[in-house]
Amino acid sequence: MREILYVVERDVKMFLNHKILLFMRALWFVAQISLFGLIASRMVVVPNYFEYYAAGITITILYSTAVFIGYDIYEEAEHGIVEYLLSLPISRKKLAIGRSIGGGLRSFIYVAPLMGIVLALIGIRNPINFLLAFVSLFLFAFGVAGMSITIAMGIKSADKFDILMGALDALIVRLSTVMYPKVFMQQANLLYSEIANFNPLTFASELLRWGAGIEQYLTFGPITSVLVIISFFSLFTLIGIIFYERRLEGGGWQ
Amino acid sequence: MAITAIPYIIERDFKRFFRYKWWLAGMISMNLADLFIMALVYTKMIKFDYFKFFAPGITVTALFAAAFMIGREVNWEVRRDYYYYLLSLPVEHWELALGRVLSGALRGMVYMFPLLLIDFAFLGVPPPLEVLIIFLMLFLLSLGISGLSIMIAVSTNSFEKFAVMRGVTYYVLFFCSTVFYPLDLIKSISEQGIIPPFLAVLAEVNPLSNAADLIRSFLLANPPFNITLIIPIITFSLPITLVSSLAYAKILRRQR
Repeated sequence: MREILYVVERDVKMFLNHKILLFMRALWFVAQISLFGLIASRMVVVPNYFEYYAAGITITILYSTAVFIGYDIYEEAEHGIVEYLLSLPISRKKLAIGRSIGGGLRSFIYVAPLMGIVLALIGIRNPINFLLAFVSLFLFAFGVAGMSITIAMGIKSADKFDILMGALDALIVRLSTVMYPKVFMQQANLLYSEIANFNPLTFASELLRWGAGIEQYLTFGPITSVLVIISFFSLFTLIGIIFYERRLEGGGWQ
Repeated sequence: MAITAIPYIIERDFKRFFRYKWWLAGMISMNLADLFIMALVYTKMIKFDYFKFFAPGITVTALFAAAFMIGREVNWEVRRDYYYYLLSLPVEHWELALGRVLSGALRGMVYMFPLLLIDFAFLGVPPPLEVLIIFLMLFLLSLGISGLSIMIAVSTNSFEKFAVMRGVTYYVLFFCSTVFYPLDLIKSISEQGIIPPFLAVLAEVNPLSNAADLIRSFLLANPPFNITLIIPIITFSLPITLVSSLAYAKILRRQR
């Protein structure tokens, strides 16, 4: 257990070293909420859109920071740090588990204060609901980290990895209910709303809104959302760990 | 010899630009997703056709992002003493400075062009004179943005400071503009005290706002074309192009 904690600690410290990146993400978050969110909420015909949008943007930043573990792993492979990690007295499995936990935990540590600001703005109507949503979002962050590790270990070309992550980032946010309620996605294009039904960001944002008491535009019940998040977490954490562990053997990352 | 060096500098910068495959792919995906997913959904949530409103906005955004990219390279060169190599070339300092600003601007234009074609395809093609004015103004804007990014890049040897300045410039110019929302709305929100009044003033004089509204004025007739849409672009771009070229040339000399 202690060995896993060392790996987690290292990943958290590495993340906190990206000070400029973290500062810029926080600045982006503030601009999104205090400018785009405020102005767009006066532009749309959706009641309480500011609260809706603020909750959605919180999920976006949780996703984008959790995904960052994939870039770290990729850089390690490029700079020969994997060899160093393999020389440590830690088993492959523990290393893989630690990376997955570290990837999710660090994004949650970073997003928690930002989430606190959003909740101060929009309020919490039911603390118990929120607690359940909070725990589920924790699992969501782990799931995203696992997904990112899986992609990073599955693609060997740096260009392909960056392109895929860029395209995925652009599409996964926009094809979810992070920014707009599903009813409007349905009206715009049925395909968009169908894709949103399978998008983990949809369920994560619905859960946060449910937890904060913004229930006007929920399309899934909280139990469905929790179950989907648990499945997403289980699937990608498992795949991420297995994939990472296997790739580490015999120079598979090279 | 002096004049012929600039095309080589531009050629070099273009080759480097297309090496950023991942950046280009990410940007293209983001721009297209913003236009064909986000704007289409927002159209259903807003009383006016947001897709038509946003299409010129995303064109200007793309121009900005691509033209601004040159600053990143210039800052890298300043930090890594790469300018010694540049200084060893048989090129005058002013040529190098002007060439870099020009290539940044042309990269912005090349990247923006397909999005402008999308605007024309969905919103209609304006008369040739208006197309010419759009291209001319967008090129001027691109020059100004390229110059601005070079000015920021040469103002510091620290990547951290450069990244922060770049980010703040990005967010201020993007979000305090009419790229995403109409000026009337920004003004009305400012009058209600929801956002500080200076943000509305900033949105009004922001060259990104004026460029987006200029395209809208020709393609959508809203806002109506007015010479005041052109003046901020010219007053932003020409001085910045000049100052940034001088600043870049000065940095080259000082470092030597």
